Amino acid sequence: MPVIQTESEYKPPVNGSYFAHVNSADGGCLLEKYSEKRHDFECALLANLFASEGQPGKVIEVKAKRRTGPLNFVTCMRQTLEKHYGNKPIGMGGTFIIQKGKVKSHIMPAEFSSCPLNSDEDVNKWLHFYEMKAPLVCLPVFVSRDPVTTGGLFVPLFLPRAGVLSPLADAASMSGVRAVRISIESACEKQVQEVGLDGTETYLQPLSMSQNLARLAQRIDFSQGSGSEEEEAAGAEGDAQDWPGAGSSADQDDEEGLVKFQPSLWPWDSVRNNLRSALTEMCVLYDVLSIVRDKKFMTLDPVSQDALPPKQNPQTLQLMSKKKSLAGAAQILLKGAERLTKSVTENQENKLQRDFNSELLRLRQHWKLRKVGDKILGDLSYRSAGSLFPHHGTFEVIKNTDLDLDKKIPEDYCPLDVQIPSDLEGSAYIKVSIQKQSPDIGDLGTVNLFKRSLPKSKPGSPHWQTKLEAAQNVLLCKEIFAQLSREAVQIKSQIPHIVVKNQIISQPFPNLQLSISLCHSSNDKKSQKFATEKQSPEDHLYVLEHNLHLLIREFHKQTLSSIMMPHPASAPFGHKRMRLSGPQAFDKNEINSLQSSEGLLEKIIKQAKHIFLRSRTAATIDSLASRIEDPQIQAHWSNINDVYESSVKVLITSQGYEQICKSIQLQLNIGVEQIRVVHRDGRVITLSYQEQELQDFLLSQMSQHQVHAVQQLAKVMGWQVLSFSNHVGLGPIESIGNASAITVASPNGDYAISVRNGPESGSKIMVQFPRNQCKDLPKSDVLQDTKWSHLRGPFKEVHWNKMEGRNFVYKMELLMSALSPCLL
Amino acid sequence: MGVTCVSQMPVAEGKSVQQTVELLTRKLEVLGAEKQGTFCVDCETYHTAASTLGSQGQTGKLMYVMHNSEYPLSCFALFENGPCLIADTNFDVLMVKLKGFFQSAKASKIETRGTRYQYCDFLVKVGTVTMGPSARGISVEVEYGPCVVASDCWSLLLEFLQSFLGSHTPGAPAVFGNRHDVVYGPADTMVQYMELFNKIRKQQQVPVAGIR
Repeated sequence: MPVIQTESEYKPPVNGSYFAHVNSADGGCLLEKYSEKRHDFECALLANLFASEGQPGKVIEVKAKRRTGPLNFVTCMRQTLEKHYGNKPIGMGGTFIIQKGKVKSHIMPAEFSSCPLNSDEDVNKWLHFYEMKAPLVCLPVFVSRDPVTTGGLFVPLFLPRAGVLSPLADAASMSGVRAVRISIESACEKQVQEVGLDGTETYLQPLSMSQNLARLAQRIDFSQGSGSEEEEAAGAEGDAQDWPGAGSSADQDDEEGLVKFQPSLWPWDSVRNNLRSALTEMCVLYDVLSIVRDKKFMTLDPVSQDALPPKQNPQTLQLMSKKKSLAGAAQILLKGAERLTKSVTENQENKLQRDFNSELLRLRQHWKLRKVGDKILGDLSYRSAGSLFPHHGTFEVIKNTDLDLDKKIPEDYCPLDVQIPSDLEGSAYIKVSIQKQSPDIGDLGTVNLFKRSLPKSKPGSPHWQTKLEAAQNVLLCKEIFAQLSREAVQIKSQIPHIVVKNQIISQPFPNLQLSISLCHSSNDKKSQKFATEKQSPEDHLYVLEHNLHLLIREFHKQTLSSIMMPHPASAPFGHKRMRLSGPQAFDKNEINSLQSSEGLLEKIIKQAKHIFLRSRTAATIDSLASRIEDPQIQAHWSNINDVYESSVKVLITSQGYEQICKSIQLQLNIGVEQIRVVHRDGRVITLSYQEQELQDFLLSQMSQHQVHAVQQLAKVMGWQVLSFSNHVGLGPIESIGNASAITVASPNGDYAISVRNGPESGSKIMVQFPRNQCKDLPKSDVLQDTKWSHLRGPFKEVHWNKMEGRNFVYKMELLMSALSPCLL
Repeated sequence: MGVTCVSQMPVAEGKSVQQTVELLTRKLEVLGAEKQGTFCVDCETYHTAASTLGSQGQTGKLMYVMHNSEYPLSCFALFENGPCLIADTNFDVLMVKLKGFFQSAKASKIETRGTRYQYCDFLVKVGTVTMGPSARGISVEVEYGPCVVASDCWSLLLEFLQSFLGSHTPGAPAVFGNRHDVVYGPADTMVQYMELFNKIRKQQQVPVAGIR
């Protein structure tokens, strides 16, 4: 089954043929690929050939269901074609598939018949017949009728090496003796330049004679040795075939083919060939030269040659190219370096001369500036934040020009400087302190003026920033003080507030003085000197100073929100409760309570009172705890407080008996003016700010604790409580509170212990014995019977100091256990 | 804010409204009540616009927009037997915008003005009800401050009312109703005023002696 792609201008020849033959070993079918065994394009003596350009076109599809007569499928097809085309011979080729059934087919034997086969019978005998099963793919080629009267199917052909067979327009059949005319033509005369999308082909114009000659001459490698004469000839031969116009007839080809296939018959053959080709060349050369010389027929054109690389010494070439590339790289590097150095120097320059405008831009980012005439003025007041302080708070921005250009520029040089008003220079702070009232009122108003070192400018923030911030702080302190002094004059209090110079003095509690002073130190030497002398910052109340700042800012916010902030038309922008007062129908009193606002001074005085009260309470509890050891007193302060209220939990316990005696737990809520004591059982006692009250109260609680402890102890020891009283109405009167008393009886009732404990008088412990144990008891006339002797007799006081034990409850426990009957 | 009872004091025979009011205030002063400025309650009537009424035969409801100087930031809008809306004073402006739905009845403005007296926990307001230029009657409002549940203090209020109104002591206001332990609110006061004003409006054809 020959499947061959012939050689063309663009494609190499491919032989994809298969051949199948009967395996001589087992009689089966052996399919082999031709290219696996041989690499030529030869064929055997007989072949059915169908050649096509391989281009798509119209085909005929024939469907046959079954055999109806003696004729086979192909013969039927031939007859059909013959019927249609008449005398005109038509060839047809293609494939058909036998899908079902069996086929009786013949296979030629491997050897041709040795004797001539004269009849069909002989042929059938010679052939081997096989039954083959579907499916079978068949490749039939046939001609509708023989162009000549006699002929067979087999067309022996010598194919040219190159060139494409045309479709079987004309087919020839020959009997093997007579030569049949076969027309063979080149596939296409013109080379296809491109195929358009619609399938039209554009052709290259065929080369003219001279162009073709030039091309061929270009191909000749004249440098080759003369030993390759034969190849050259073959090459020329091949080339000659490329000439489209060269009318190489079929006969010529046949001849050549015959020559080629002829074995070399005599030894001088190659010599003859070489000589002949040399002669041919010589002749050609002579012709060419003569033609060129005459210039009548032909002129020589310069042959365009592919520029061969100049043949230099490869080493020098390498060196040169390396040098060149290195130079290129070096240039790039140098350019980059130049650019870098430029930018570095620019940076340095920028750092050195921070120009005025960029500084101004930075200033503008933090402060409000405006231009008035030829001056630039800034605003450092808190007016935009809601301040109502009338100070204008304007500073001026000036250009710092007093710089000697010859000298080295100092590091902190800044081309921009700010000039702040003289009354805002320096540093200021508000000092709040509480003192016991000074007996001498004469030194009022002399306030320590000491200078705090100016805060060092943060690294990175410019000089003017610290300066402006300090000035702003001075302004704020001044505003706070102005506000406070205004309120101090306006508010009516029992003891009027005094405003002297830069100090406001108020009396929150009798003999107590709260002073708020504005300390403003300018930079002059005098105040600095003064400062070093008197420096007593220990009485500062930093908390209140901080709170003052917070309060003024809150005040700012209030004014800002009530006046300037945008608000909905339906309601005032303010407190939420204020907004709801309409829809929730608040009456006059409620609205009044919403609107009442305390001034700065009132708030700060309240805070000061609270702070003072808290510290005094702490001091009182601490002093009591350190002074009195027996009932222990413990205070637990809460960490988080309101500015007006804080609380402390006070526990009174006895050492070693914390679990038994837990009767006294007090919660002290320290307010502004008073202390509320919440007892464990819910009783509330209100104490005033006087420390004596608290002290007395705690003392009485401690004395009660002892008696409570005895009661708890009796419960544990199994003693019976006969009587208990927190406040005894008998006995000596205590100056603080009341004495409390308890009487307990031993489990068997023999003994009784009576305890009386007063905050001032201390404890008194008496023990009652049974009568029979009292020897000194005079015999009574009334109680004759012995049974009366079991009655308890008189009390005897215990020398408590001489008792063993580290505290009261321990001593009591010892006493009780001593009086309890021995169980043994 | 406590429980309030609003009632009408009939004009004494042979006396003008002014004189009756003076009589009452004198009584209060004798009791020991302190004068605490003045008060004012006003009421304006709106009826739903005809265009918004759906079908024929459906009568428009009346809406009363009231103010009370006791609640200076609030405005009350009430329907008869209907809901009571408490709003900002800006509600008046809104009513102008709602002209298409609610139209102000002509010459419907009625108000009561008078003096406010504080007597311990009681707040007494004696006012002259005027409609246009003419005085129509006398309103007496008594508020008991410490309590917010009407049923708990009604007898106390009654006793106090008897002490200076004598025979004209009113019965329990309808708004107290049968509700127990329901918190009394400002809206209840306004409902009482609305009822009072409606009552006085209906009386207007009855000639009152001694109109100023």
